[in-house]
Amino acid sequence: MRLGEPGKMQATINITPLVDVVLVLLIIFMVMAPDVNVPNTAKPNAQGDERGRILVSIDEAGGLWINDRSVAPEHFSEALNAAVGVEKDPRVVIRGDAKLNFLQVREVMVAIEQAGFHGVGLIAKRAGAEGK
Amino acid sequence: MQFNSNDSGSSLQSEINITPLVDVVLVLLIIFMVVVPLLMEGYDVDIPRASADTSTRDAGSQLILSIGSAACPILSPLAEEGIPKDCQVILADQKIPAAELPLRVAEILGGRPAEQRVLFLAVDDRVNYEGVLRIIDLAKSRVEDLKIEFIATN
Repeated sequence: MRLGEPGKMQATINITPLVDVVLVLLIIFMVMAPDVNVPNTAKPNAQGDERGRILVSIDEAGGLWINDRSVAPEHFSEALNAAVGVEKDPRVVIRGDAKLNFLQVREVMVAIEQAGFHGVGLIAKRAGAEGK
Repeated sequence: MQFNSNDSGSSLQSEINITPLVDVVLVLLIIFMVVVPLLMEGYDVDIPRASADTSTRDAGSQLILSIGSAACPILSPLAEEGIPKDCQVILADQKIPAAELPLRVAEILGGRPAEQRVLFLAVDDRVNYEGVLRIIDLAKSRVEDLKIEFIATN
């Protein structure tokens, strides 16, 4: 078989759409996460890499997020139970903003307790470390 | 000058080769996805069951740390690291400067078996959250395996 000479076959894969998709994914990942300025402390402990972890974020304004999805306070318990869903041994961590007062965090802890968890991790970052 | 490249065997490549760029971006994406959940650090705390009867516990051995808004005025976000020098906390009914906390907690709880090293924390609702975490950090700094449990303040 002979390939036609005038209209040359394009042998390379067109990767431009792939690049587009990847860049959009990257932007989505960066944007989706709530803007939380985590408190910094001297010696926080590593929280381990538990895939079954449920991340509850509280932003500066007191807005609630479960696994980077915004949740209305009145639906928090349902959303938390939905997030627990199929996980066998989930662990809840609270990523609260440094500007919050303790009441705002305590209310979330009470809601988490009512959902059946008796321990949480409070996320902090090491003082002087870069990033969030 | 001729720009017709269709007829020559070694045609000039005028497009930028973006394959390395794609490689780098994909690798960055994967690194972000993998590393971000790994980086978390913080403190494990217990929330007591709201309905649980805590009176059966041996009240005498409970070590309670109270952080009040009057004695430790961390009400607004902290500007610098550490906690203010004038911050006082109440440990086992004694008012002490927060700076003495590591030593005092270690004195009281350091000698106990690991499962009894529990510090109960009563925190005023108005205290800044970052301040609370820094005080927890101080309390834990000299005792290994210290469990922190929040208790209701009212």
